[in-house]
Amino acid sequence: MKKLVEITNLSYSVRPNSILRFSNEKIILKNISLDISPNEIIGITGESGSGKTTLIKLIAGILKPSSGKIKFTPQQKREKVKTNPVQILFQNNSEILNPFRRIESTIEETIHIRNKKEIDVAAEKERILDSVGFTNELWNRKGFELSGGEQQRAALSRILAAKPELLILDEPFSAQDVESQLNLLNLFKKINVEYNLTMICVAHNLKILRKLANRIFIMYNGEIVESGITENIFKSPKNDYTKFLLKCENYDLKTPELKFTETLSD
Amino acid sequence: MLKAEIKEITMKTAGGKKVILNDVKFELGENQIFTIVGKNGTGKSTLAKSITGLLDSYTYSVIGKVYFKGSDIFTMEEEKLLLLRKDSIKYVFQDAANSFDPLKKLKYYFELLTKDRNEIDDLLSYFVLPDKSKLYDMHAYEVSGGMAQRINFVLILLSKPEIIILDEPTSGIDSAIANLFLLKLKEFVKQNKNSVLLITQDILFAEKVSDKIAYLADKKLSSFYNVNEFFNKKDDPLLTKFLNAKNQIEV
Repeated sequence: MKKLVEITNLSYSVRPNSILRFSNEKIILKNISLDISPNEIIGITGESGSGKTTLIKLIAGILKPSSGKIKFTPQQKREKVKTNPVQILFQNNSEILNPFRRIESTIEETIHIRNKKEIDVAAEKERILDSVGFTNELWNRKGFELSGGEQQRAALSRILAAKPELLILDEPFSAQDVESQLNLLNLFKKINVEYNLTMICVAHNLKILRKLANRIFIMYNGEIVESGITENIFKSPKNDYTKFLLKCENYDLKTPELKFTETLSD
Repeated sequence: MLKAEIKEITMKTAGGKKVILNDVKFELGENQIFTIVGKNGTGKSTLAKSITGLLDSYTYSVIGKVYFKGSDIFTMEEEKLLLLRKDSIKYVFQDAANSFDPLKKLKYYFELLTKDRNEIDDLLSYFVLPDKSKLYDMHAYEVSGGMAQRINFVLILLSKPEIIILDEPTSGIDSAIANLFLLKLKEFVKQNKNSVLLITQDILFAEKVSDKIAYLADKKLSSFYNVNEFFNKKDDPLLTKFLNAKNQIEV
């Protein structure tokens, strides 16, 4: 099968800018190469400022690379599909969902935009809302009447209605308590199979990534420092930074090992 | 020895329609870190705020008695209460950036608290913050959320309080920085007769940092247990469910 995403020698830098008050070129991503096969779940982790968000913005086409190539090869014919095959589930769903619109109507509209003629809208809507665990009672609610977790699932169902091939999850677990995290984890795994959906999940929480992702990329200071099958990375990390991250995650740092925290200050 | 004693806190919405917390009581001992864990929306943050009477009486009606050094915070004169909030019981809130006046440069806060430059330098470098020359010239809105939280924590340590109340300190920050918080908190409670009340849903952080843990659910607070005891408790169904979810993610 053909790769879904192929990235070669991707770099991204910000040019000097008098308004933003920095005079040197700032390199954010250096020479990133990776590829993603269909139906994989990829985890990306690393600390704030390591370039994770920039990388997913580049993959989604929100930013243009400074150099290098990103190739996206849709696996299905999309001639009649009018929605973008790459979708992002953001963190701030309460600001994204229309607070005064019923969820049901939001989903219907997206299905209509995707392909009006050839889809049974009612059946498709039911299938999607059912798979994110939305009961009929919730369909009629408006954006502002939903809790944070429900808003997230509503946003996810709208994304599914657009029939993406690649779904990018930006810190989906960060505002959740453990029980909700577990439910969400199982939901993502289910959707991955049900919708043949390839996923990229950016998260700080290594424990959950370990459960979710098939492969993991560890980023530090704009580079991928280690990547591989999830279990291998967790069982035998090779890179010093990966080892440091795993230790941090368990809150086992004995004396402050500041070696890897220097990039965090800005 | 006791540091503070929460005899009773019962909280309703202002109209009295909805009960938020029902007869919560606990005691904060000296030189220990007390942690309250619980799911989203159970009222953990509201409880923390109510301890020094920070809640808006138009929204909440709070009945209770909270004793700090023998006097009841809820019936204290306004002036004494302000002094207590300034000197003795300090908070690190979840949205730390909002704790600052956006029109003041950060220099203002540091110079208000201490003249000891070395102490400031040490804390700034410990928390991987930019040095004074750069930081003093910035406003709170110019730094990231995680940085604001660290600056807030540094300022609180400089003010040498007796109790620090932290609301979700690990939520916006990396695990490496959370480690720094953890070590510093442990150091803080060893000094003088300090104590810490920590509110979190990061259960692993709670496990590593706490001396005593309690669980808030269904409007009630459980007793505070020693860490080992807490994680081996089997007789509370809500807690068991919470701990199971944690285990399923971790194992």
